[in-house]
Amino acid sequence: MSAVQEVNTSLKSLIQEFKHVLDQASSLQDLEEARGAFLGRKGRLARIMSRLPELDPADRPEAGKTANEVKTELGRIRESRKKELEKQAASDGDQSFDPSLPGRTPDVGSVHPVTRVIQDISNIFTGLGFEIVTGPEVETDFYNFEALNLPPGHPARDMQDTLYITETLVLRTHTSPLQIRTMEKRRPPLAAIAPGKVYRRDSDLTHTPMFHQIEGFLVDTHVSMADLRGTLTAFAQQIFDSEVKVRFRPSFFPFTEPSAEVDISCVMCQGRGRNQDGTTCRVCKETGWVEVLGCGMIDPEVFLQVGYDPDKYTGFAFGLGVERVAMLKYGINDLRMFFENDIKFLNQFA
Amino acid sequence: MLLSLSWLREFTPYRGSIDELSHRLTMVGLEGEEIVRPFAHLSPMVVGRVVEKKQHPGADKLSLCSVDAGTGENLSIVCGAPNVQAGQNVAVALEGTELPGGQVIKKTSIRGETSQGMICSEAELELGQDSSGIMVLDGAFSPGTGLRRALDLEEFVLDIGVTPNRPDCLSVMGLAREVAALFDLPLYKPVLDLHEDNSRHCPDEVQIEIDDPSGCPLYQARIISGCAIKPSPDWMRYRLMAVGVRPINNIVDITNYIMLEQGQPLHAFDRDLLEGDRIRVDRSRPGFKFPTLDEQERELNDQDLLIWDSEKPVALAGVMGGANTEINEHSTRVLLECAVFNPLSIRQTARRLGLHSESSFRFERGVDQANAPFALDRAAQLMSELGQGRGYQGVSRAEPRPCKPVQVYFRRERANSLLALDVDQEYCRRVLTSLGCEVQEEGGAMQVTVPIYRPDITREVDLIEEIGRVYGLDKIPEHLPKVQKSMHHEDADSEYRFLGAVKQWARGLGLQEAINYSFVGMADLDYLGVPLEGRVKVFNPLSEEQDVMRTHLLPGLLNTLKHNLGQGNTRLKLFEAARSFEQDSSSETGVRENNRLALLLYGRRHRGHWPHPEDDADFYDLKGLVENLLGAFGGLEGRFVLHREHPCLEPAVECICREKTLGVLGRGAPDKARAYKARKDIWYCDLDLDLLHSLGSRSRPQFQPLPRFPVVKRDMTIVTPMELAYHQLRDVVENAGVDILEDISLVDVYLPPERQEKKLTLRLTYRHPERTLKDSEVDREQQKLADLLLKKLPVGFP
Ligand SMILES: [Zn+2]
Repeated sequence: MSAVQEVNTSLKSLIQEFKHVLDQASSLQDLEEARGAFLGRKGRLARIMSRLPELDPADRPEAGKTANEVKTELGRIRESRKKELEKQAASDGDQSFDPSLPGRTPDVGSVHPVTRVIQDISNIFTGLGFEIVTGPEVETDFYNFEALNLPPGHPARDMQDTLYITETLVLRTHTSPLQIRTMEKRRPPLAAIAPGKVYRRDSDLTHTPMFHQIEGFLVDTHVSMADLRGTLTAFAQQIFDSEVKVRFRPSFFPFTEPSAEVDISCVMCQGRGRNQDGTTCRVCKETGWVEVLGCGMIDPEVFLQVGYDPDKYTGFAFGLGVERVAMLKYGINDLRMFFENDIKFLNQFA
Repeated sequence: MLLSLSWLREFTPYRGSIDELSHRLTMVGLEGEEIVRPFAHLSPMVVGRVVEKKQHPGADKLSLCSVDAGTGENLSIVCGAPNVQAGQNVAVALEGTELPGGQVIKKTSIRGETSQGMICSEAELELGQDSSGIMVLDGAFSPGTGLRRALDLEEFVLDIGVTPNRPDCLSVMGLAREVAALFDLPLYKPVLDLHEDNSRHCPDEVQIEIDDPSGCPLYQARIISGCAIKPSPDWMRYRLMAVGVRPINNIVDITNYIMLEQGQPLHAFDRDLLEGDRIRVDRSRPGFKFPTLDEQERELNDQDLLIWDSEKPVALAGVMGGANTEINEHSTRVLLECAVFNPLSIRQTARRLGLHSESSFRFERGVDQANAPFALDRAAQLMSELGQGRGYQGVSRAEPRPCKPVQVYFRRERANSLLALDVDQEYCRRVLTSLGCEVQEEGGAMQVTVPIYRPDITREVDLIEEIGRVYGLDKIPEHLPKVQKSMHHEDADSEYRFLGAVKQWARGLGLQEAINYSFVGMADLDYLGVPLEGRVKVFNPLSEEQDVMRTHLLPGLLNTLKHNLGQGNTRLKLFEAARSFEQDSSSETGVRENNRLALLLYGRRHRGHWPHPEDDADFYDLKGLVENLLGAFGGLEGRFVLHREHPCLEPAVECICREKTLGVLGRGAPDKARAYKARKDIWYCDLDLDLLHSLGSRSRPQFQPLPRFPVVKRDMTIVTPMELAYHQLRDVVENAGVDILEDISLVDVYLPPERQEKKLTLRLTYRHPERTLKDSEVDREQQKLADLLLKKLPVGFP
C-alpha cells in the first residue's frame, strides 16, 4: 500500500469510527470529548493531516482534498448528533420540571357588566355612524322636563319619580336631556347616543335609585318611523342574537309622537313563554316578550324648543335601560347585584 | 285600569277571548299588563242543598246537616248558623278547600259528630260584611254548581296600563269605544230613563256659584230625596269588588260605579247637613284646616280648591269629601255633585297632601266635560232605582267655561311620510271617524273635529299617531338609515372615550370595576372627615344613607370593601371611574361634576398561591399603578409628596403633575378602616381624571433617534440617615450636570436591623451619543457624583 493510499484509508475510516463513538456518547459532554479526540488540535484528523507533507508532492492535492471532505463530513456528523442529544436533554433533562404547575399569571381584571353593555351598544351605534355625547347628571328642570314637552304640572311627570336637589335642579331622570343639549349646539343632520347614569326616587326588587340609560337620536330631513324600526331591529339583533324578534307597541312619551315601546322575543325561553322543562318563564311572565326600550318620532314641540323647523326636520329618539339589557343578555336575575360589586359577580364579566 | 269583561259587553258585543282583547289593546297602546282572576279564591266552592237539618245531639246551638253538594253521596256538615234550613241552597267549602282567610277545611269531629265540609257565610267568603248567618243562594242552581258561576262573579278582569295621555280610557265606556273601533263593533250607550219629582225644582233649592272659573269650568248638582241607605244589590257589589273597589253603601257605590263606567268622578253630600241653598266653588284660605272624610285634618293653602255651602267648606274639590257632610246611615236627601275641575289645581292639591284618589287621578288627567250631564243623569237614575229615592226636577248648574271641540288640519301625505306608509284618504277617514272624530275633506287634506274626550289630540302629528296606532306600528316597514358620518372634532377626544380607555387600562392591569351609587349619607362623609362645605344635598332622598351627592368616591368603595369582606372575599383590587359632585356657582347647574378615578387595594399582592409570595399589597403597588397611569395617558411623570394633614388617609401622599395636584394616595386611617371590617391596610387613591385628560391630551409623542453606542453601567451604594428621602439623592445626581448620565435607577434598599442608617444602591447608566465611552472617563464622572453627594448630603459610602 502506498503512503497516499494509507492516508486515504485512515481518513475514510475516521468517518465510521467517529460515527461509532458518537453513537456511544450519551451526553453533550461525551460529545465534546469525542470532538476533541477526532477534530481537536491534537486529534486524530490533525495527526493524519500532519502526515501530508510526507507524501509525494503529486499526491498531496488529492489527499488534501480528501482530508477536507472528511473534515466537513465529521463536522456534519457532530452537528447532527449534537442536535439529537440536545433534544434528548430537553425532554428528559430536569426531573423536577412540571409543566402542569400554575404559571405566574397576572390578575385578570374586569369592567363592570354595565360598562361592558354600554361599550357593546356604543360600538354598534358608532358602527352605524352615531357619535357619543355626555352631559351633566345634576340637571336643570328645563333640560330634564320642560324642553322635553313636560311642563310643570304635566301628569306625565308622575311616570318618573324625581330626586330633587333644589326646586329647579334635579338628578336627571333620563338621558333625554342630551337630546336637547346636543341639538342646541348643533344643526342637523346629526345622530348621537348618550350613555350615562340616571336617577329615580324608587327602590325595590326591580328598581334601584340609580341606574344607567342610553339615549339615541337621529335628526335629518325625511326621517321616518321605518328608519327607527330598521335601526332598532338591527341593534336588537346585534346585541342579543340575530334570531331575536322585535315588536313595536304604541305608547306615550311627551317628547315623541308617535311613541312606542319595543319588546324583543324573550331571550330566556326564545319567545315560547315556557322553559325547556315546561315550567313557565319568569323573565317574560309567559308572554314570550320582554320590554327593552322606549322610542318614537321626536315631537315637533322638542324641535321648536331648540329652534329647528318641524316642517323641515324629522327625527327619532330612543332610550334604553342598560341594566335591563345586561340582565337579559347575561341572564342576571337580581338587579341589586349590580351595585353590591361582589367580586365573585364582577369576575364573571372579565 | 281594571276592565271587567262583562261590564264591557254591556256597551259593545265583544265575543272574543280576554287574551285576544289584551293583545289587541296592547298593540294599540293600551297595554294589557295582567289578566286578574278576582274571585279565584272562590273557585273551589260549590252550591250545596241542605237535604236535612237535625239538632246536634251534643250542642244546643249547632245543627247537623245533610248536604247534597253534587259529590254523589250526601255530606254530613255541622253548622252553627241560626238561619240554616232544610231545602236551602247554600255555599259549601268541601274538604281540602282553602277559605279566603287561609283556613283549610278538613274532615273533623265536632262534639262527636263528623263534619265533612263547611257551610259558609258571606263574610267567610269575603263577599260581604254579613257574618250573622250563612249565605242563602238562589234555589234554581243544582247542587255541585260552582259558586262563582252561581253568583255570576266575573272570572277574568284585564288590568290595562293607561298612559297619561289617554284619560278617555279610564272608564269602561271609553274602553268600549276603543274596542268597538278596533273590532268594528257597534257601541251602545246606556238608555236614560229618569223619573223626576216635578213638585220640587232643583235649581230653586240650590244655586251654584263659581268664584274660581278657571279652577272649575263646570259644576252641576242634583238632589235625590227619600233615599234609603243600605248595601247595594249583589250584582253591583260583586262588579265593584271584581275591579278592586270596596262596596260601602248604595249611594257611595253608585258614585264609584258611574266613575268607573263613565270616567266621571261624582260626590254625594248629605243634603240635610249642607247649610243654606248655595253651593260655592272657591279657593281655600292659607293655613285653613279642613277635616276630610278619612277623618284626617288637612292643612290647606290658597291654591287649594274647596266646595262650600252657605257657611263652611264641605269638600276638597275633586280630591275628597268632607267629614261634615258625608253620607251616613241616616241620610235621606242626597246632593249629587258632578263637576269638572282644573287638572293642574287638583294635581297640586293631591300631590301636596299626598291624597291620591281614583277621583283626583281622573281629574288630573282630564274628564270629558261634554259627557258630564249624561253621567249625572245616569247616576241619579241609579239612585232612584237602587236607593228608592226620587230626583228633584232639573239640574243646578254653572258652566263658566264651556268646552269647545278642537279642529285639526290633517294631510295624508304627511302621515305617509312620517310613518313610511302608503294609506289612502278613505283609510284615514275611516280610522279617524271610528275614533269619534268628524272629518271634512278640504281639497286633498282633511279638517278633523276632535271629540272632547281626546284632549291628547291637538295637532296634526297627534292624528298621525292615531293612524299609525290603529294601522299597527309593528306593520310599518323597516329601513336602516344612512347616517351622515360626523367627523366632529370633539368626538375623537371625548369624555366617553377617555373614560373608556381608562377603564380598559385598569382592567388590563388586573383591577375590577365597581359601580356605586352617586349619593351617600351625610354621616358617611362626616365619618371620613371630609369638608362640609360644597356638599350637594338631595332635597327628597329615599333615605339618610342616600341624602348627599358624593364629594369623594371613597365611601362607596369602602362599602364595596365591607360587603366583599362580609362575603369572604379577602383580596380586592378595585377601581371606580365616576363623578364627584360639589357646589360651584360658576358652573351652569351650580354643581361641578368631576370625573374621578379611585383605586383600592386590599389584602395580598398576588393571588395567594404558588408560585407567588404571600405578602400584602403596599404603598408601592398603589404608587406603581398611578405611575403607570400617568405614563399610559400622556407620558406624564408625577411628584409624590407627603401630605401633612389628610382627614382619612395615613400616610397621605399627594400626586403632583405639571405643578397641579392630580390627587392623593395613601392608606385608609386604621381607626376609620375598622368600621368597614378591614383587618389589613386599605390602600386607596383618588385622582382627577378630567385634569389627567387635559394634561395628557396636550402631549404629542416626538420621535427621538435611537442611540447607536453602547452604555456603561456602574452601581453606587450610599449610606444615608433613615430620614433622607430617595428623591433627595436623585435630585443631586440628576442636577450634577453629568451630560453622559442617561439613567438612574434604584437597585436595592437595605435596612439594617438596628435601623440607624440605610443603604441605597443606585445603578447609573452612562452613554455618549457619538462614541463609545472609555472606562476611565466613566470612572471620572462616577467619582464626581460621589464627591458631590458627600458635599451636599449627610451621606457616606461603605
Ligand atoms: Zn320567556
